[in-house]
Amino acid sequence: MFVLRVNGEDRTVDVPADMPLLWVLRDVVGLTGTKFGCGIAQCGACTVHLDGQPIRSCVMPVGSIGQKAITTIEAIGETPEGQKVQKAWLDVDVVQCGYCQSGQIMSATALLTRTPNPSDADIDAAMSGNICRCGTYVRIRAAIKQAATGKPEVMQTIVSGPAGGAP
Amino acid sequence: MKRFLGFIVIVVVLGAVAYFLLNRTDKNDGAAPAIAGAPATADVLARGEYLTRAADCIACHTVPETGKPFAGGVAFKLPFGTIYSSNITADAETGIGGWSDDDFVRAVREGVRNDGKHLYPAFPYTSYTQLSRADVLAIKAYLFSLPKVKQADRDNDLSFPFNQRWAMGFWNAAFFRSQRFVADASKSPEWNSGAYLAGALGHCAECHTPRNIGFGLENSNALAGEELQGWRAYNITSDPKYGIGGWSDDQVAQYLRTGHADGHASASGPMGEAIAHSLQFLTPEDTAALVAYLRTVPAREGKHPVDIDARPVAALASTNAAPGGDDAANAMGLRLFEGACASCHQWNGAGQQVSRASLIGTRGVNDPKGANVTQAILQGVKMRVNDTDVYMPAFGHAYTDTEVAALANYVIAHFGNKQGTVTPDDVAKKRAL
Repeated sequence: MFVLRVNGEDRTVDVPADMPLLWVLRDVVGLTGTKFGCGIAQCGACTVHLDGQPIRSCVMPVGSIGQKAITTIEAIGETPEGQKVQKAWLDVDVVQCGYCQSGQIMSATALLTRTPNPSDADIDAAMSGNICRCGTYVRIRAAIKQAATGKPEVMQTIVSGPAGGAP
Repeated sequence: MKRFLGFIVIVVVLGAVAYFLLNRTDKNDGAAPAIAGAPATADVLARGEYLTRAADCIACHTVPETGKPFAGGVAFKLPFGTIYSSNITADAETGIGGWSDDDFVRAVREGVRNDGKHLYPAFPYTSYTQLSRADVLAIKAYLFSLPKVKQADRDNDLSFPFNQRWAMGFWNAAFFRSQRFVADASKSPEWNSGAYLAGALGHCAECHTPRNIGFGLENSNALAGEELQGWRAYNITSDPKYGIGGWSDDQVAQYLRTGHADGHASASGPMGEAIAHSLQFLTPEDTAALVAYLRTVPAREGKHPVDIDARPVAALASTNAAPGGDDAANAMGLRLFEGACASCHQWNGAGQQVSRASLIGTRGVNDPKGANVTQAILQGVKMRVNDTDVYMPAFGHAYTDTEVAALANYVIAHFGNKQGTVTPDDVAKKRAL
């Protein structure tokens, strides 16, 4: 039995200590925004934050989390950096199939939190562990820079705006 | 002419006498010290199971993942050819079901199988010779209680003269002494039990003691480290700098029970197998005995001693999520590390998700030749300890020899603060093993 602090709420889960956090989040807690990709910490799709640090939840035993605060894609928009990243993602229209993107956004948000104005090398170092099979890397890089500076980096899409707003 | 013939006769006679003297069998049954996990009062099968694990029979006699337990067939690639382990299940036709107690005891302790032919010392009779007859027979009883597997032994693939089993008699005369364990009355019972666990059962020396030119153990240099099958078995003497003298008792015990000691080592390769199949199953008392014994192994520097930099500049200049302090020359290594390695090992080497992924302070990343770093990259880690999978992906299929070498050298520079010397050629050689 573990009490996990997930997105600001305490969740009690009755799972074995060696169950990976990803399983707990998706199958027990019911937060399915975090995706399963490779299962061996090689693709980044399962990235969540532990006390603000990006980690691969597919290889993180739930028993070693303790009191650390877990943030998932469902709540990343509640942080200032997360908000900026999500807006830039929409403005640049980064997403293609979208499967890897919750992980991309978690890694990008962690990067901007510790490095508000990242260089290309900073972006490489932080984002290389997140794979996108649609190859949206160019737009990911542009969106990270745009989130950092607030200035348009590439051609903007017209879908931006409040949810439900007509284009 | 007559004189010369006389001389020849004398040489032959002296040689024969020496051969037989040096190949003398110790006729004693031998007595084992008290082993906490296998008390003399316990049921013979329970003792046998514990001793079989402590002697790690399964590691060599079972093909990983696909093989049936104890059915043999594991390949040992040696410089002079390949030896395959044998079926030691009780199947009468293809295993050892027809062997008498004496046959089995002779094979285990003297390296001579039931048909009188010599075994090769890839089978560590050189260590098992110390076992007591009662312990060997407990192991036999346990093996005979398991399912029989019909699986014919695979022929060894050895070139002449190594395929001549009789020649091992001469090797034995030079490098092997049939001798039971002799307790040292001046030491504690715990120490004696540790010596038996390390020497007779665990056969640590077979990997950790340097070998001479004839492949015999250099006992004057016991446990000072050796390289085999492309992996380095490190110096485990009490040397504070090059051995494990600087580790606390708890750290050594933790390593033996789990395959990881914070700031010192994470087991992989053959040592990972030893932990997974054998050492993790020792009782805490027996682990403590092993530690007590290892503490007293005379400090030695060994061949290619590894200088550990516990505070590597580049790793300390890095954060968990961003690199710093690297020499720009190895951009390929850095790029590979950031894509494939950083999400678990982290740039500061602290290890994320699991502490086992920490790299700083390990001998692997401090060895400029990068033997074990290269092997870990190529083969990954896959073992089960305390009912938990320990896993690192194998990258051998993903990267070229040039990339693996660049990555290994990056890891050595970043986490060991040393110039790595791994070449693509070294990587190719390890792949071919």
